[in-house]
Amino acid sequence: MSAFAEVTERKGSRTRKRRVAMEPARAPRAVEPSVSPRERLPYLLDLYPLESPTQTRLAPFFDALREGRFVTTRCRKDGKVLWPPRIVCPACHSGELEWVDLPTTGRIYAFSALLAGAPIGQEAELPLVVGLVELDGSPLRLFGRFLGIDWRECRIGLPVAFEALTLPDGRAYFAFRVKP
Amino acid sequence: MSETREVAVVGGGLTKFGVRPLTWAELAQEAGEVLFRSVPALEASAVDSLFVGAAEPERFAFQSHVAPLVAEQMGLAPHRIVQRTELACASGQSAIRSAYAAIRAGLSDVAVAVGVEKMNLPSMAEANSAMACVLDRPWDAAHGLTAPPFFAMVAQRHMLEHGTTEDQLADVSEKNHRFANSNPTAQFFDKRFDHEKLLRLPMVAPPLRLGDCSSMTDGAGAVVLVAEELVKKYTDTPAWIRGTGQYADFHNLANMESLTDWTGLTRASREAFRTAGVGPKDLDLAELHDCFTISELIEYEAIGLCPKGQGGTFVADGRSDLGGDLVVNPRGGLLGCGHPLGATGIAQAVEVSQQFAHEVDAKRQVPDPEWAMVHNLSGSANVHSVMIYQRGG
Repeated sequence: MSAFAEVTERKGSRTRKRRVAMEPARAPRAVEPSVSPRERLPYLLDLYPLESPTQTRLAPFFDALREGRFVTTRCRKDGKVLWPPRIVCPACHSGELEWVDLPTTGRIYAFSALLAGAPIGQEAELPLVVGLVELDGSPLRLFGRFLGIDWRECRIGLPVAFEALTLPDGRAYFAFRVKP
Repeated sequence: MSETREVAVVGGGLTKFGVRPLTWAELAQEAGEVLFRSVPALEASAVDSLFVGAAEPERFAFQSHVAPLVAEQMGLAPHRIVQRTELACASGQSAIRSAYAAIRAGLSDVAVAVGVEKMNLPSMAEANSAMACVLDRPWDAAHGLTAPPFFAMVAQRHMLEHGTTEDQLADVSEKNHRFANSNPTAQFFDKRFDHEKLLRLPMVAPPLRLGDCSSMTDGAGAVVLVAEELVKKYTDTPAWIRGTGQYADFHNLANMESLTDWTGLTRASREAFRTAGVGPKDLDLAELHDCFTISELIEYEAIGLCPKGQGGTFVADGRSDLGGDLVVNPRGGLLGCGHPLGATGIAQAVEVSQQFAHEVDAKRQVPDPEWAMVHNLSGSANVHSVMIYQRGG
């Protein structure tokens, strides 16, 4: 079953089809103590993206995260759903992209855990469970942090759900919560 | 249209690899010392071009613009081409490829390719951050992606899809550490790792243990490349560069088609074989990028040394060891020598050059080698760089 649904949107005289996720969006949750840098690092040691519209044309992605929505860009010309979100389609080089909702559930395709050797800011978060998620009803296979599971209990095929996170400095990010 | 010239590596040398109490610039000075000792006919004034392979001097040494720095440290005054080459873990091979292209095109006659990396810092967390930003930093690394969990997922899928075992991964590590025990420049020259010991080492990123992972290493090296008409001045056993290939196909992990089928390497090695006019069966030795044990297994498959999925059996049956089909990583590999990013590609070329000249310890000397492949992957195996050498003389 596809996790996408097509809806028709009207904007003035224009109508366009838009794909939306069928699952209800999740409200943003407070960050787990095990996720995110404890303190704001100098920018050149900070792994997280710059999110403000003064720094990126992808600011709507982070605005959506703050609303608990998981979105990416789709090319209006060739219909390609792109990850990570982009401002120009790599296939047809069109700059006409639109935001579409992504499925918020999926299954683990591969995983591991970082047990030693964390980057600065992540040392206290070890062991850090990560993996690739096949999104339900989508060809996308996304990498992310897994929450709520010990790496020894993790298995290929376990279901996961997208979860929006708020970093201590107010920036938005996301992870996947494992549902054993 | 003018004819292109043949190009050879005519010698080179390496510093000791390891956890070294010296700075980035001091490593470059040592590389100069060993280069001029290893290639006695080399005069600094004859070096018209300098290519410096350095992956992340900005992160590891807070220093940019390192090509003139290296020229000064090594006492060189290049007057044709001077530049740094950066391709993460393949930065050293990039320096050699660029020197090769310059000489072949007639823009240089005598070029030095140098690799330098200083990775052991007072704060290893900062060094780990440097490694993380080789990947797609805001979209992958921020989640916690570094090299060990990436290659761990590759290993997990290879085990699932092809039945590869931890034992077979340990076979790679044991072989390469054994070769490193006969290579005095190797980081683990005097450390023994047998099969049982390797399987008892702690996990770094399951299913990969410490012995499955190459190290953070300080090291440098340099090689000299010259045009064919100048070769005889420097050596009787040149390592002719006969073929090259390279392929880049994705950056973010979501855009990697298969974790276990490295089609980029298949394409790069096919192009290298095509330009050299040889095939996998012609190789006597191969320096393959064993940043992790699983990498070497998949590289056998992607290059065509064995069928897909049979990399584990290939190493377990000794087919990549002395007495096998060919010898893979007689230098000791990245696993045994350590992996100072920019210096690794230089070290592989030095090994090929010394193997051709029969200058290495008998315990790792490949009998009468004629054809050698050098391979580096970089990042999340998203770029593959391949060169093929033939012994001259």
